[in-house]
Amino acid sequence: MSTLEYFEVDSTEPVGGQLYRRIASTVITDHNLLKVLERLRIYIDPSVPVFVAVGITRTVPRTITVSDLAGVTYDGQKITLAIADETFLADLLQILWKSYGKDQVSQPDRFTIEIQTSGDAASSGIEDLAVADPTEGLFKDLIYSMQVICPEGFRVKKQNFHNGRFWFVASENTLPEDVTPLVDEQFRIMEAAS
Amino acid sequence: MILVPITYKGGVFRHDEILDLIEDMGGYIIQKHMIAQEVVLQALIPKEDIEILKTVSRPLAGEVKPAPLVGTEIAVVSMSLEIHHLPHASCDVAEYLRTAGAKTNMIGLARGFGKRIGLLSDEERDIINEHDLAIYLFGNFETCIKEKMPTFRRGIQVPIVVCGGPTKETLMKIIDPPVAGYIGGLGRFMHRTKEPHELARLDEIVEEVSRVIDQKRTGIAKDPLSVTPARLMDIILENVPAIHEVTSPIPVVVQMDGTRVKLPYDPYAAEIREIEIEAGIRIADVCDIRPSRMRDYILLKVKPFSETGMLV
Repeated sequence: MSTLEYFEVDSTEPVGGQLYRRIASTVITDHNLLKVLERLRIYIDPSVPVFVAVGITRTVPRTITVSDLAGVTYDGQKITLAIADETFLADLLQILWKSYGKDQVSQPDRFTIEIQTSGDAASSGIEDLAVADPTEGLFKDLIYSMQVICPEGFRVKKQNFHNGRFWFVASENTLPEDVTPLVDEQFRIMEAAS
Repeated sequence: MILVPITYKGGVFRHDEILDLIEDMGGYIIQKHMIAQEVVLQALIPKEDIEILKTVSRPLAGEVKPAPLVGTEIAVVSMSLEIHHLPHASCDVAEYLRTAGAKTNMIGLARGFGKRIGLLSDEERDIINEHDLAIYLFGNFETCIKEKMPTFRRGIQVPIVVCGGPTKETLMKIIDPPVAGYIGGLGRFMHRTKEPHELARLDEIVEEVSRVIDQKRTGIAKDPLSVTPARLMDIILENVPAIHEVTSPIPVVVQMDGTRVKLPYDPYAAEIREIEIEAGIRIADVCDIRPSRMRDYILLKVKPFSETGMLV
């Protein structure tokens, strides 16, 4: 866990807290989140019971556009995409079918897509068309790993991810409507430690 | 004749001689594993004949080791079968106990998680009670173990060994009334047990379970069983041809005070009941035969001498 700038697991039961630190460390490594996380603080109070995890992620990758994964060439009313990275090809095709219609989009071979446009192809702005948002997957991965770390009986959960800051609160009982004080306190302790 | 549990490990070559020898001694082979070129036998043999077995197995490069848990069926109770508890620690514990000769069954509770919401259904309770001993794998917090323990011990008649994250002393302090055994420092974890101190902890489980099992054996010896479960196994294997069609690795499981026969109850119970053990004594005379709550199996519990007045 040396790559995390700050990593702390705090609990009202120190023995349990230490064991949970090992669990958190294993889960984060197994889910390949070491590169993504910059700071993480977990607080568990089994007598309430409550589990609070707060953290800050490293620079989040920006939205992936067509120009990131394909070379674009224009020829009158025809756009040709030369695919360089197939990772998001399925998503791209879905978006193109929706925007231009299936009749206008053809894929003569694995790495080429041709689109017939009604107007001037060059002014279609296809290069900046958003294909995927990696933060969405990142958020899901982060929250999933927090669910794995937190005790299984803690079934009531709330979570948030905004501007590289995330929090996850879980309990066995009902949670208060506003969990901000709980979260803010942990953020404060984490920030004070740096 | 005192039978002692052992594990024999050796090559496939001439291993039939070992099988014959154990049978000639009056011992019982509980389980036989053939793994590639290796044979692993779990057997009960007369105490005074161990040296003979060692002498015979020496030229075959065989190894005879005491295995304290041979002939026991142990329930490893996991609070759920979710990723939180599987494969570590549940499988690690179950697997390690198998190396000591026990037949372990992993029981994943449907609603075992949580200190307030954790529940034990009557089916789960009955299944646990069919075993010789139950190991409860709890979590890391003493508050939770303390609060959920009363729910999970209700109706359990077999000895309970509790594993949990807090130290052994803490577990002994928070669990009231006491249970049969405690192992501290082994609660919830999500990595494979391979470091020396973790393996030592698993050895501690074997030690603690053996201690509890020995206590139970001593209790049984005070009022001995009318027939030894291992002999009962042999008789069933000899007299019920259908048992050889069962694909399960252990079709007849030997317990400390009975056997579990992996055949459906309705068609086979009557047949098993009428099997003659010795002149005029049927299985029904010395055993309670009832349907197991585990699938559709048959459970035989041997009656003690005080009840039947006979030892066969």
